[in-house]
This record gives sequence, structure tokens and C-alpha cells, in this order.
Amino acid sequence: MNKGGLRSVMDLVALAPATRARLGRAALLAVVGGVVAVVGYLCVAFAVGELLSGRRSGIAAWTTGALVALVTAFAARWRAENIAHEASYALEVVLRGKLADTLARMPLGEVQRLGSGPIKKIVQDDVKSLHNVVADSLPFAGSGVAQPLAALIALGTVQWRLLLAVLLIIPIAVVCLSLLSRDYTQQRERYNQANESVTAAVVEFVQGMPVVRTFDDGRGSFRRFSTAVGEFTEAVAGWLATSRASGLLTKLFIVPLPTLLLVAATAVPMRAVGWISDTDLLLGLLIGAMPIEAVAPLMHLTNYINDSKAGAVRITELLDAPALPEPEHPRDPNGSAITFTGVRFSYAPDRGRPALDGIDLDIPAGTVCALVGPSGSGKSTVARLIPRFHDVESGSVRIGGVDVREIRSDVLLRHIALVFQEPFLVTGTVAENIRLARPDATDDEVHAAAEAAAAHDFITAELPEGYDTQVGERGALLSGGQRQRITIARAILSQAPIVILDEATAFADPENEAAIQQAIARLTQGRTVLIIAHRLNTIVDVDQIVVLDGGRVAERGRHAELVAAGDRYAQLWTRHEQAARWGLATSDLETATLETGR
Amino acid sequence: MRRTLRLMLTAAGPYAPQFRATLRISAAASLFQAAAYATFIPLLAALIHEPVRTGRAWLWVGVLAALVCIEAALRVREMAFTYDYWHLVTQTTRLRLGAKLRSMQQQELARRAAGDLTSVVGSNATTAAGAISSLSTLFIQLVAVPTVLGVVVLAVDWRLGLVLAAATLAALPLVRQVQRRSNSGFHETDEADAAFSSRIVEYVQGLPVLKATGQAGADSPRLTPVLAHQHQAQVKANRSAALPVAGAQLIVQLALVALVAIGSALALDMRLSPVVLVAVVVTAARFAEPLSMAAVMTKLFELSEAALRRVDDVLATQPLPVAPGGQRPSAFDIRFDNVTFAYDGQNQPTLDGIDLTVSERSLTALVGPSGSGKTTITKLISRYADPQHGTIRLGGTDLRTLEPDELLRHIAIVFQDVYLFDDTIRANIAMGRPDATDDEIEAAARAANAHDFVSRLPEGYRTRVGEIGSALSGGERQRISIARAILKDAPVILLDEPTAALDTESEVLVQQAIDRLVVGKTVVVIAHRLSTVVGADQILVLDAGRITQRGTHTELLADRDGRYARMWAAQLAARQWHAGHCGVARAVCE
Repeated sequence: MNKGGLRSVMDLVALAPATRARLGRAALLAVVGGVVAVVGYLCVAFAVGELLSGRRSGIAAWTTGALVALVTAFAARWRAENIAHEASYALEVVLRGKLADTLARMPLGEVQRLGSGPIKKIVQDDVKSLHNVVADSLPFAGSGVAQPLAALIALGTVQWRLLLAVLLIIPIAVVCLSLLSRDYTQQRERYNQANESVTAAVVEFVQGMPVVRTFDDGRGSFRRFSTAVGEFTEAVAGWLATSRASGLLTKLFIVPLPTLLLVAATAVPMRAVGWISDTDLLLGLLIGAMPIEAVAPLMHLTNYINDSKAGAVRITELLDAPALPEPEHPRDPNGSAITFTGVRFSYAPDRGRPALDGIDLDIPAGTVCALVGPSGSGKSTVARLIPRFHDVESGSVRIGGVDVREIRSDVLLRHIALVFQEPFLVTGTVAENIRLARPDATDDEVHAAAEAAAAHDFITAELPEGYDTQVGERGALLSGGQRQRITIARAILSQAPIVILDEATAFADPENEAAIQQAIARLTQGRTVLIIAHRLNTIVDVDQIVVLDGGRVAERGRHAELVAAGDRYAQLWTRHEQAARWGLATSDLETATLETGR
Repeated sequence: MRRTLRLMLTAAGPYAPQFRATLRISAAASLFQAAAYATFIPLLAALIHEPVRTGRAWLWVGVLAALVCIEAALRVREMAFTYDYWHLVTQTTRLRLGAKLRSMQQQELARRAAGDLTSVVGSNATTAAGAISSLSTLFIQLVAVPTVLGVVVLAVDWRLGLVLAAATLAALPLVRQVQRRSNSGFHETDEADAAFSSRIVEYVQGLPVLKATGQAGADSPRLTPVLAHQHQAQVKANRSAALPVAGAQLIVQLALVALVAIGSALALDMRLSPVVLVAVVVTAARFAEPLSMAAVMTKLFELSEAALRRVDDVLATQPLPVAPGGQRPSAFDIRFDNVTFAYDGQNQPTLDGIDLTVSERSLTALVGPSGSGKTTITKLISRYADPQHGTIRLGGTDLRTLEPDELLRHIAIVFQDVYLFDDTIRANIAMGRPDATDDEIEAAARAANAHDFVSRLPEGYRTRVGEIGSALSGGERQRISIARAILKDAPVILLDEPTAALDTESEVLVQQAIDRLVVGKTVVVIAHRLSTVVGADQILVLDAGRITQRGTHTELLADRDGRYARMWAAQLAARQWHAGHCGVARAVCE
């Protein structure tokens, strides 16, 4: 049996004491049910035995006994199942709550690195995958042992000779059980690997289909797909070949008939010499197969544990993820100036260049600082260190003179409004989405924020139910520009003194762009702003432009100074102007020479 | 029942004959199993007889042993299907599905969400194969054995048979109820699971704001109601499905006691041989097992049938029909004649009476608000779907008469979202022309401004995209996709705003690459930034599925109140926007 797998599941169950207690109760009831069922069959055998021996007197009593015992056994078993299932569902709630808690305490950057997809898989799918073990197997492992044991004892007490006959089949059962519960680690891993690569190939084939259609004659991508499918087939074939013998043995022997045949065959000579009575024989046939029938559920337990082991391990890993350290003596930031002093930071400290290497930055309160530079130069990292998505390796990040590590993380986040490229909306109404930043805001405040974000008009005029319109899952029912303006309204409502903008207008279409720009203008008014910009024309008037390259500050100054300096920024600016002048044409001569300015 | 069998036979594909044979073997095995149980009746009669009829008993033990052995032999053959064919059925199913994806109408492909198709080819295919290989035979066993035994008991003693028949009749509706209830229960829990899944994704993405406002943690108001609902749905589904299962099991247990009670009463009145009663009791004890498996089985059967249906659904899709008389196009002008098109399931047409001509080697730009039909026009050119009215011609040939592969040979599309395959960079570029030489591939990469950065990669063109994945920037990925299009050298190029999401540095390089791609081609481009298409031979302004203005940039600007002139003005204003505080002041003052 898979000890490690069982252990990891049990550890998770231990996190929910109520569930553990209920599972214990379920197990006890199941054992009672299993044993009482044996008693019931015993009564049936005795009742018929009375009849055969011609005694009338005991029949009614034994029949009643059978009735009571079988109904009791049934009730106990049923109750046990209910308790186990509901305990298992309760465990899911507890685990999901704990996972949500862990996520809330982890560094946000770490959460981001894991990604919402894989996290969803752990919190939803992996937790769900425990159900089979927790509800269907664990509580019944006890009765799986107790019931056959009770059957053997009953048989042994009534007629030990028949017990010996039944025991003959036990070695076969043991062999089957050991064969089957062997964890074919190697095959399993190969299978899992092949399964993963076939899934990846399927995803690629499906998602890339538009490209496949236009560029591929079917040879390339279909070959990759069919190769992965073929490898899966081989992995399965390998596994099937190794498990074939045990599978066959199970099918042939872990069923009642062989045992019953054995009982019948040994019963003939024993009856002939009068060793066993009619009742003994009947009892042997009724409960003799119980031990062998108990093997199958135990095998399922092994399978279930193997299936949920990986999930249990992933859940445990996430629960064990280190939390972002919170300060013991928290301080409040004093003002909204942002200061980086000698900041060094790596995503993977042991290898490669640090992402930021000795960054000094000074953004006085109420000013706008723009970060520019090629992708990978560290712009987003700078922005993410301020709300403590990660902590610096060395140096410090301060807000209003206070190190961000000395500020409670919720307080810190209240001071900062984040507006990212990809607008973030939740399922719910427009108003709920704006109010997310300040749950106690009044309707008037929400409307005022929307108005400032150039969103009020489209909300009242274009959306069917105004502020009460449902936005759909992640805002799917709204356009990109509408979503972005709602997130800006939310940021305005938050009244956070610091605003961090990351490419907020990148995906907007032209008609929305102007509105979003207006909204951003109102959002940034009077606040300390850090903006990551690709379109350089949007930042020519900012107080400070910082050019990053390879995790260091390459240049800083105002637009005019930097252009005049003729260095990095000046090159970027030339590129920008060149890009803005670009125009498409199908003949070489006209290319890229059109004046598109005014 | 019959429908499920048909689905299974379809899914078994080339292995349908083996599957049929296996079903027959399984039925035979179940008959022998039932017969083996029935043997206990004469066997017990011999053993309980006073004196014991030893010879007769041995005879029946012999028969029993023979039946058990025959059943075992048949089971071995039955199982062989699982061991020999399960993976092969999975494989052929997946390959058949893959071929279908390749030929399915593009509209159909888009309508089925990518995630859905992935699970059809992924997990549904294995579940379907599992249903064929093991579940079907299990089902036969579960139904056939009790049925045969019931008939045998009825034949031996009709009164006891009636008790069993009554019990079965009472239990059957309950089993059917299990099926119905667990169906609706699954449905509800599936929905609750989906709702929670989407909430947890939101929670993760929104953590910064949720944390700031104290809405994060185990008691987050964003999570707890959905979690509670999920819990309720689970408990409810379990209770409602468990009740009829329990009822059915109870009935079987009670039937056993009833047999003993009624049988005893009859025997005492000498109207029944006690021996028969013993035999029947032993046999009837075998009824309990199949019924107690009903719940688990129901769930598996439902899942399998759903999987089979979904596989069958995809296998049944038809490619777009190709009308006869297609001439391989030799010229590459594009013509829309009065084209009206509505997407499947929509009443409102997305394109409404579109007439347009794109002459060979010219540049046509489509502009207009989102949802105006720009993308639909480019989709129809690649025969994404056929229009309901009107015709589209390429070089004078009606698209409906062209094989999809033939049509797409003449078209290269540069998408906004670049898709690179997990293969080498060389293979990704060479998709455009599989027989291209290394020199040709390098030339295409150079023209697409991709050669320099590709050469700097550790293994150059042999670098696998999957291994460097996120190390490639958006602009680099876009340039690889343009190299692919350059290598294909198709006469028609469709562009969907390929530089929208790039940073300045990449943008210039991608722009140059596109310049080289479109030389001498027939080009249709969807443009968001009007400045990029000022030089177009023709600009079509779309609004709500109609072309409202057409002409060159200069011609369109002449109509000062026209839509185009207004869009142009708005974009100029946006370009002059600055995010400084002085700029802010200006914007606010305006």
C-alpha cells in the first residue's frame, strides 16, 4: 500500500479536527454495520436450519433476529456513508478556506508566479480529488477488515472445518492484493508524463488550429499531435502489460464463486461422514465469500490513494508556502514620497543576473515618474516592489520615509492604487466592482468616481441597468475600454495617495483611448505617480523619466534634457517617432515616408 | 440503451468487430455465471437430503466446477479487449478527432470553446474508450446475472420467485430515480464547482485590492457565499442520490428476510420443500451486490455516456461543402458581391450587403469601431464560414468551389495573438513551406528582422520554443510569425493590427518586417491606428456591418463631418496627450 500517499491525505484530514472526528464516527458505525450484517446472515442460516431439522419453535425468533440485524446493519452502514460524505465535504470547505488564507498571506509576487490557473487547479480540483479517499474509502477500511474477520470468527465458532476450507482461498487473496496494491511507480510516472504531453499536444493542436489551417499542410503539427498520442499509447501498453497478470487474477479469484465452489466441494465428503450440519453448510455458503469480497474495496482504496496523492502533495505544498513577514511594530507611512535606496532584487537568487541591481530612485510626493526601457529591463519589477509583491534582497523601498517592510501589508496596499494593462473585474454589478476599493463608499461617492473616470456616461446610457448591470465573469460583458475605465474609477474611489500605472492604455481602441487618458489624468491629479509607458508621447511632460536597462538606471531626467543628451532615451525617442510615422503600402517606393502628423 | 450501444460502436471505430465479439463473450460469461449459481439448487438438494446423496452431489460439484472454469475462460477473453485494445481505441479516437478538427468548419471550431475541444480529445477520449472496454461488460454482468437467476428461482418455485420479482419491481424505480437524481445533482454541483473555480481565479487576480480592503483570507466575502453554496449543492446532491440507493438496498435485505419468513411458513405447511428454500436463500443473497453497486455505477455510466456523446458530436461534424466546378485561381483580386453574413445562432447580420473589390497587389484598410464587422470580412476571405447571401470571389473563382486547403494556400494571415508551436524555431518558420531549405528559412528570418535574435539563442534555429517560452518578447514572437508568412510567400495577406501590443523598440522592427512581407501582395489590413494606413489604396469605413465610407485617406478627409474625419481628429488628440501634471491640468481644463 502507498504509505506516503495515505500519510499526506491523513495530514490534510488532521487540519480539520471536526472532519476527523466525524470520520472516526463513520468508521465505527461502518464496523458495527459490517459485524451486525454477519450476525444477520447467521440468523438466516439458523432460521432455515431450524426448519430443516423440523423444529418449528425457533424459526420466528431467528427470522426476527435476522430482520432486526439486517436492518440495523443497513442503517448503520447508511448512516456511516452519510456522515463520511458530509465530513468530506466539510473538509473541502476547511481546506479551501485555509488555502485562501495562505494565498492572502503569501507575497503577492509569489501568488502571481504560481498563476491563477494552477492555483485554481489546487484549490478546486485537487481538493475535490480527495473525496474518493476521504468519503468512500478511509471510513470503510476498518469495516473492510472487521466484517470478513467477523465472518471468519462466526464460521469458526459454528463449524471450524468449513472455516479451514474458506481459509484455503486466503493465500490467493493475499497474492492478488499484494500484486495489485504494488505501486508501479515507474509505469505510473511514465503514464503521467505521456498523459501530460498528450494533453499539451492536444491544447497546442486545438489552440493553434487557426495557424495550422493557414500555414500547415497538416504534416508538422499533426505529426507532433500524433506522436504524442502514439507515445501515450505505448506508455499505456507498457502499464497494461505489467498489470495484466494481476488484473486477470483479480477478475478470476476476487469474486465469490471460486470460494463457494471450494466450500461446496469440501462440504460433500464432510456431509457424507456427518461432520457438518445443514445449518453449517448454509452458513458457509452465505458468509464464506465475505473475506474474499472484502479484498476489492481495499484495492480501490489503494487506487484512490494513488490518484489523490499528487493532489494532496500539491495542497500541502501550497499550505506550507512561506508567508510575507508582517512587521511586529507596524508603522504608518508618513506622506507619499517613494524612495528606493540601493535596491537589489533577484527572482532566482542562486542563478543569473539580479533583476534589479543597485536602484536608487526618489519620487517626491505629488510628482510623476515614468519608467522606460526595453522589456526585461526591470520596469515592472520596480513597480511591484512598492506594494511588496516581493521584498528586496538588499537596500530598501520607503514610502514617506518608512520602509515598506515596517508597514502592515493591508495598510500599504490601501496607500497604493494599481492600474494594470489587463483590467481586473469581478463577477457582480458595475457598482460592486467600483466599490471593491472602498466597500463602505456611498452611492454618490461611487458615481462621482465613475464620473471622474469618464465612465458615468456609458454606465448610465449604454448599460441596460446602469450601475446595477452585471458585468459577467471577469467583466466579459463589457468592452476592454469600458473595463479599464471601471478599474480607474475604482482606483479613484480608493483615494490612495500613490498610483502605479502599468501600460494602462496599451490595448484600448482609438475611440476609447481618449476617454481613458482623460480618466487617468483625473486619477493622477495631486498624487504620487509611477507610470510604466511604452508610448513615449504620453510621458513627455512628466517630472522625471527614469530609463532602465538590465536592472540598472541608465539615465534620468526630464524629457527635453534626455533628448538633448543624445543617449539611450534619445534613441528610444527617435524609434518612437519612427514607429509613429509608419504607414503601410504594398510597393516599396511609398513605404514609411508619409507625413502623418498634422 | 440502444443509443449508448450505437455511440459505443461509433467510438470503437475500426475495433467495432472486436467490441461486438467482446460483448457477446461477456453475455455468455454472465449466463455461465448465473448457471453456476443455479447449480447450487440441485447441489444443495443432494447434500441436504437424508441420507446425503453423495454421488449426485459430486456430479453437481463437477458441473459447478466446469461452469466456473468456463466462465473464467470467457472472462479472460472478455478482459483481453481491455488489455489489447483500450489504448488502441483511445489512440484511433484521438487521431480521428484530430483529423476532424483539421477539417471542421472554422466557425464550428470557434464556437466550441478551445477548452471544451481540448477535453473532448483529452479526457473524453480515454473515458469513452474505458466505457467501451470495461464498463459495457460490467453492465452486462450486473443486469444479466440477477435476471437469469430470477427466472431460475421463478421456475423452481413460483411463490418464492414472486417474492424476488416483487422486490425487484419495488427496487427498480428507485434505481431509476438514482439515475435521475444524480443527474440533476451532478448538474448542480458542476455549476457550483464552476462558479467557485471562477471565483478563486478572481480572488487570486484581485488579491492586491482585496487585501487592501480586508476582503482576503478564509472568510473573504468574495469566497464564502460561493463556497457555502458549493457545500450545500454537494450535500444536497449526495442526500438526494443516496436516499433511493439506500431504499433499494433495504428492499433487497428485506426480501431475503421475507423469503425466509414466507418460505418457512410454506414449508411448515408442507407446501414447499425446505431444501428448495435453502437453495433459493443462497441464490437470493447474490442479488444484493449488483444493487448496491447501482449508485457508483450510475455515476460512471452517466459520465461515460456524456463523454461518448461529446466524442460522437465532434466526429459527426461536417466540413464546409465544396461546390463543383472550382477553378484554381490564377489572379488574386478579391470581390464581395452583396455579401450578408450572420454568425450561427445570431439573428442580426454582422455584415449586411457588403460590396467591395480589392484589386490585385493593392492595399485595402478596414477601419471602424469594434463590432463593426472588420474582422468578419477577413474571416470570410479565408472561408471561415459561407455568407448567407452574396458571393465572395478570389481571382474570379467563387470561394465555395475551392477546397479549403487550396484556398488557404494562397493566403497568409498575421494574427494579433501570435501562436508559436512547441517545436524548434526553424520548424515554426518552416510551417509556411515545409520543403524550404535552411538558406530560404534564414532569408525569411532576415527579412522579418528575426535572424539576429534567433542567432543569439543558445541553439539558434534549433532552439525549441517551449524551452525558452517566456524568454521571447512579444515583438520577437511576432517577427517569427512574420518570417513564417514571408516564407509562405502567399499572394494574399491578411493583417489584424499586428503591432497593437508592442513596445516602441519592437514596434519599429515589426513594422519593417511587415513592410517586406507586403511588397507586391494583395493586402487587407484591419487598422486601429489610422496613421498606419494613410497610404492605403482604399480605406473602407465600417459601421454596424455596412460600409459607410470608402476612398483614399485624402478623399475621406475631404468630408469634414464624415466618420473618418472625426476618427482622425480623435486620434490626433489622443496622440498629443501627455501624462505629466501640466498635461493633466490641460486635459482636465479642456
